[in-house]
Amino acid sequence: MKDDLEIYIKQCMQNERAGQLKIYELFSPVLYGICLKYMKNEDDAKDVFQEAFLIVFQKISQYKFEGSFEGWLKRIFINKLIETLNKKKKENFFLDVFDPDTDFVEEEELDIAPIQQEKLLEFIRDLPDQYRTVFNLYVFEKMKHKEIAELLKISEGTSKSNLNRAKRILQKRILSIKNFKTA
Amino acid sequence: MKKQNIENIFSSMENFSNVPPPELWDKIEEKLNKPKKKKRATLWWSAAACLLLGLMLPSVLYFNSVSETKNNGAIENNSVVFDENKTDVNQTRTIPGDENKSINQKSNNQNKSLENNPVSTDTEKMNQRQENAVADAPNIIGTKVSTKKLRVGNKNTNETLAEKSSISEKENSFNTSSNKTFNKEGNANQAVAEKTSTTGNHNAFNSSSKNQLLNSGKENINQAATEKTSISGNHNPFNSSSKNQIADVEKKNANKILTEKTFSSGKQNPFNPTAKNQVANSLFEPKQNTKSNKTNTNLALNSSSQIVSTELNNKAKKDSDTKTNQNEAVNAEKAIANNQQNNSKFIDVLSKQDSIQLAELQNLEKGIANPEDKKEKETKPKSESDKWAVQVFAGVANSDNYKNDKTLGHVNDSKQSSTYGVKTKYKINNKWAVGSGLKINELGQSIANVSYMDVSEKNSAFFSPSAYFVKNVATPQIANNRSYVFVSNTTKDALVSENVQTGNLDQSLRYIEMPLEVSYAVFSKNRTNISLNTGGFVGKLISNNVALDGTSIGKNLDANDFVYGSVLSSTVQYRIYKKTNVFVEPAMNYYINPLNNQSFNQLQWGLNFGLNVSF
Repeated sequence: MKDDLEIYIKQCMQNERAGQLKIYELFSPVLYGICLKYMKNEDDAKDVFQEAFLIVFQKISQYKFEGSFEGWLKRIFINKLIETLNKKKKENFFLDVFDPDTDFVEEEELDIAPIQQEKLLEFIRDLPDQYRTVFNLYVFEKMKHKEIAELLKISEGTSKSNLNRAKRILQKRILSIKNFKTA
Repeated sequence: MKKQNIENIFSSMENFSNVPPPELWDKIEEKLNKPKKKKRATLWWSAAACLLLGLMLPSVLYFNSVSETKNNGAIENNSVVFDENKTDVNQTRTIPGDENKSINQKSNNQNKSLENNPVSTDTEKMNQRQENAVADAPNIIGTKVSTKKLRVGNKNTNETLAEKSSISEKENSFNTSSNKTFNKEGNANQAVAEKTSTTGNHNAFNSSSKNQLLNSGKENINQAATEKTSISGNHNPFNSSSKNQIADVEKKNANKILTEKTFSSGKQNPFNPTAKNQVANSLFEPKQNTKSNKTNTNLALNSSSQIVSTELNNKAKKDSDTKTNQNEAVNAEKAIANNQQNNSKFIDVLSKQDSIQLAELQNLEKGIANPEDKKEKETKPKSESDKWAVQVFAGVANSDNYKNDKTLGHVNDSKQSSTYGVKTKYKINNKWAVGSGLKINELGQSIANVSYMDVSEKNSAFFSPSAYFVKNVATPQIANNRSYVFVSNTTKDALVSENVQTGNLDQSLRYIEMPLEVSYAVFSKNRTNISLNTGGFVGKLISNNVALDGTSIGKNLDANDFVYGSVLSSTVQYRIYKKTNVFVEPAMNYYINPLNNQSFNQLQWGLNFGLNVSF
């Protein structure tokens, strides 16, 4: 599998369509999933997905066969997603400042049954852009607030604030389902 | 059921994957097949062209002014910079206003006008004699006369002699050469030249030609002077000057054609991208429609409340009516159906408490969604047109004498002034921007301990200032006020007069300037932005003042109405609120031609402070 991947990558470096298709087939579901998590609607996700894949094929010659190829692909996609979100929002993006009084509310543990992925995805995508991005980076990409702050050019406090606010919204959404079900 | 926090609940989403629609690969493949656009390269080239233009324009203008100075002897002679080392040839510049008039009115009959001039008749005869002597040993006589003149002081006859002889010294040689040329050429020009040389008034003739050049437009001077150099090998300079005029016209036409061409090409360039944009927009139009429709369906799917869902149902229904996106419409209808089912369940099951809770949740969601929508509405046009910025600034500037120039034998000192203006900038991309605007700026210089004579009527009953200006060519006339006669540092010792005083001479020229700048962002992090700017500017003189010991005595005679120059500055900008930035801008301005014949501070250091609002 690993050897095959290397062959495909090298084919991509030669701009061979067969290799490109193989790479696409292998990684597109995961990468498309990322796009869906970061973008508010599917059309935007599709647009970014296309553009990011084009960047992948254009820059694949820069891949040094060091580290995970999937990780390299994800980095390109996340960078592209953040760039797109920044373009959409520019100045008003990530301007929330961390407020310890309101943002340091202890997280409540929820007593709920498993929720379908589609529903969770829906909850995530309903979050405001800035909260969603921080939430995705923190929860799924396992990035620290410092890293998020550097990537998004915001303060660590803002990153924490955005994450807490995202969690509170999600919590309420989940509770609403619970209430609905219990009722 | 297990107790878990939000992160655990969403951990299943970590490796969430979804197979993309098959048409996406087709689109990617299609784009991969397309040749790469050279948009970025075009952008870089256009920025580089702007930069080059900004730098070239002032230097071209500068070299033009230099050629003017080199080729036009009269202009050199007109210099008011009286270095101690300079000979009296430099002092022969001041030509009486009366003479100028007569010469200009009858440019073809200079001899006649001079003959009619009662003041110069005697002196002309003397000049004839002097000429012969000068022709034999011009240099010696030239120096002798100059020393004589310096010592004589107010003796007018001798001074005039000195003036004329020094002119004849120069122009004798000039005429000899021109005669030689005529012998070779043997054309109609010869008559004019011969006439000039035989009458012995060729001094005036030649000076008249110079005056003509002086009095004509500045552009003509430059061009005529340059043409003169190239043609003078074969023609009489006087006659060639008339040819130059024709050549000028041709040149101007040529220039016009050139500029027209440039502009038309400039127009073509922006036209093409617009055309492309149009095409691009038309391609995206259906896409946008689909986007809007899809958004609605998504919203319909996501809504859980009765009110929101009904509203969205209506929207979705409306969308489905369009029939442009049948699939989406079907989805929307499905969503409506689902929502309706859910809603009916809700209505059946919800208790009063639950409904209150739900209402709170709805409010919360609306609270989140609505401000965001508003923000989106606010930011969308902003982000689209965020490329523009308006700057308002004010600052201090210091005109500097970097060449150690002297006026009247004294070094020009620097002078501080204020500046203010407004500028707009257009961002080409993240790094490059172009800008222009209007600025009020003042260029100045002060000269300490300048010797002058107050020859106003109250101070000098027996001393006529007009006579002084006519006869004493060593006197540079800086201001248009004839009551003050400035004396060169070299001449002041020779003048034993109670009227000679010293004072500080301040000159200031205020311009309204229009810069054209190219900016490159060298640093951009968080709220701070540093950029380098360069370009050129054109300025129109709006105020001209010469002050002696703080009292205004008039205007500088040699100030050019239009100036050109180059700018180099660096902007350090800090964002204070959303789109509002404060900035500080150290700058260096170089003025090419503030004055015609005098030396003047041309370099200016400045520090501007201002406010920048992008929109």
